[in-house]
Amino acid sequence: MGKQLTEMLKGTLEGIVLATLSGRPAYGYEITAWLREQGFSDIAEGTIYALLVRIEQRGLVDVEKVPSEKGPPRKVYSLNAQGREYLEEFWRTWSFLAERLEQLREGGK
Amino acid sequence: METGSNEPKSRYLQYLEMVTGPLEDKRRYRQYKARIKQLPQNYRTAAEALERYLLLLGPADGAAAMAMYEDLTDLFERSAADGTPIRDIFGEDPVEFVEAFVANYPVGQWRSRERNRFTSAVARAAGEDPAREDKTER
Repeated sequence: MGKQLTEMLKGTLEGIVLATLSGRPAYGYEITAWLREQGFSDIAEGTIYALLVRIEQRGLVDVEKVPSEKGPPRKVYSLNAQGREYLEEFWRTWSFLAERLEQLREGGK
Repeated sequence: METGSNEPKSRYLQYLEMVTGPLEDKRRYRQYKARIKQLPQNYRTAAEALERYLLLLGPADGAAAMAMYEDLTDLFERSAADGTPIRDIFGEDPVEFVEAFVANYPVGQWRSRERNRFTSAVARAAGEDPAREDKTER
């Protein structure tokens, strides 16, 4: 993953993770693995973890501790009403940004 | 010595904590150290390097710092159980990870004081009423 992609991803990763959780609840390791499969190959477990800590603190997700066969219980995150609202706002912001950038690209031709 | 978190503290404990700092924080710190010791060697090495970084450059103090250390220990215990390689936890730039992580926790007193002071100074310079600018605490 190039440096530019890493930089751009920083501002959008929160939305990406919330969108991932809107499909179904998941734990950190699952989210990281899934994103890696989707082509975000260099994404770090720690980066996703820091983000999950943040969205939990801000009340965008509900957390359930589920016992695991090995090691400590896993924290399973699911999007709650506040999280869905936030995700909608993210998509509105994204559309705005994408539209403006597309206009710039066309204007630059 | 267990200090139940909800019951009122004896005068003796109150006095002692004035001298030593909160005992609850110390107990949590000892528990954190014990959990780190249980980790496989390479996770432990990484956790101790991270602790050094946080002690020097971390933003939080007291109880807020303990929450931060506990959250980190959760990450390392889970990663060790999953067999996540060290590089997959930290990524290419470990500093980037740790800075994103610590941004989740309240800043320590002196940083918070200086942020307030800076924000108020700019408000005064801009000719605004600095009284309404006291909102820098995260």
